[in-house]
Amino acid sequence: MIHPTEDLRDYAVGELEADRQPALEQHLAACGECTLELDRLRLTTAALRTLPDREVPQRIAFVSDKVFEPSPVSRWFAGFWNSAARLGFASACVLAAALIVFAYHSPLDRGPAVAQSANADFSKQVNEAVAKAVAQVRTEDARMVQQTAEQMTKAAIESANLKYEKEYQARMVAVEESFTVLQKRLSSSLMASNDFRDAGAGQ
Amino acid sequence: MIFRAVEDADLISRVRRGDVEAFNLLVSRWEKRVFNYLLRLTGRPEDAMDLSQEAFLKAYQNIRKLDDPARFGPWLYRIAHNEAHSLFRRRRPETALTDLSGGDAPSERNHAPGFPMDLSLAVTAALDRLNPEQREAVVLKVYEGFKFDEMAEVLGCPVSTVKSRLYTALDLLKTELAPINTRGTNR
Repeated sequence: MIHPTEDLRDYAVGELEADRQPALEQHLAACGECTLELDRLRLTTAALRTLPDREVPQRIAFVSDKVFEPSPVSRWFAGFWNSAARLGFASACVLAAALIVFAYHSPLDRGPAVAQSANADFSKQVNEAVAKAVAQVRTEDARMVQQTAEQMTKAAIESANLKYEKEYQARMVAVEESFTVLQKRLSSSLMASNDFRDAGAGQ
Repeated sequence: MIFRAVEDADLISRVRRGDVEAFNLLVSRWEKRVFNYLLRLTGRPEDAMDLSQEAFLKAYQNIRKLDDPARFGPWLYRIAHNEAHSLFRRRRPETALTDLSGGDAPSERNHAPGFPMDLSLAVTAALDRLNPEQREAVVLKVYEGFKFDEMAEVLGCPVSTVKSRLYTALDLLKTELAPINTRGTNR
């Protein structure tokens, strides 16, 4: 009888392939020598397992410390290649860093120019506003002067008219008085004439 | 083991994102096994402790090089194996690969077969009689429960070599422990 020694050992340590086990078990049922060998192997491994595990004298633990970290370059490189999300995150970080750098540094460099530009714009706006205001004031003054002139002219005309009217009335009164005087004189003359004629006729 | 591997893989992915606490969880799951593996190789708790710490530190530093997280166990034991053998080479360069058990001959350190003694002492003595390669094969198979392909990964040798070392060791142990076994069988 051929003893399947290799399969028997594999079987004893649990490594025999499943499709070979039925043949071995059939052999064991018919072979006392292999059955005894299997028992010895099992007793030996069982005796070995009686050796107890020992407890770890002290717990092993790590903290987040540079000493325990891989080198930054290798870690960064591994992370870079191992994670697409990290790549995206890194890109976002770079972008954020660029924005921060731009925000904190570039404006400082361009500050005076920006300030000057702002000041120039402000001055220009002020000047424009002042010019506009001055123009408005001038326009208003001109309008007021014109208005005043017109009012003065109108008043002068009115005054002249009034004066003229007064003079005219005065003249008319004078004329009227003169006419009255003339009438009186004429009447007197006529009366004198009549008296004279009457006197002449009477003579 | 499948669930454990899944949980290990999850922890490993967290460690790769920089989560140190996830690695501490991994350590807590494996430290006892790794420590006892190294203790059975070195025979000295102090060495086993130091080597365990070194092994876990290297595992942390190189965890991104682990191709398959499901193979974390064999990978970690491979690191521990290398650490142990580095220690042996430093201490005993001329005998590092041939005798890891110390200076005393096994026959001088162990009781005679059949002598009444505690079973664990008999097993310890029997293990001491093995050469380092045989002893490591027994430790990985019997105590750590690795499959042959995983043992080959840890030891860095073909499966055929692993099987040869293991079965030679079991034959020797079977003889060494025969009186104990017989006595245990008779009980």
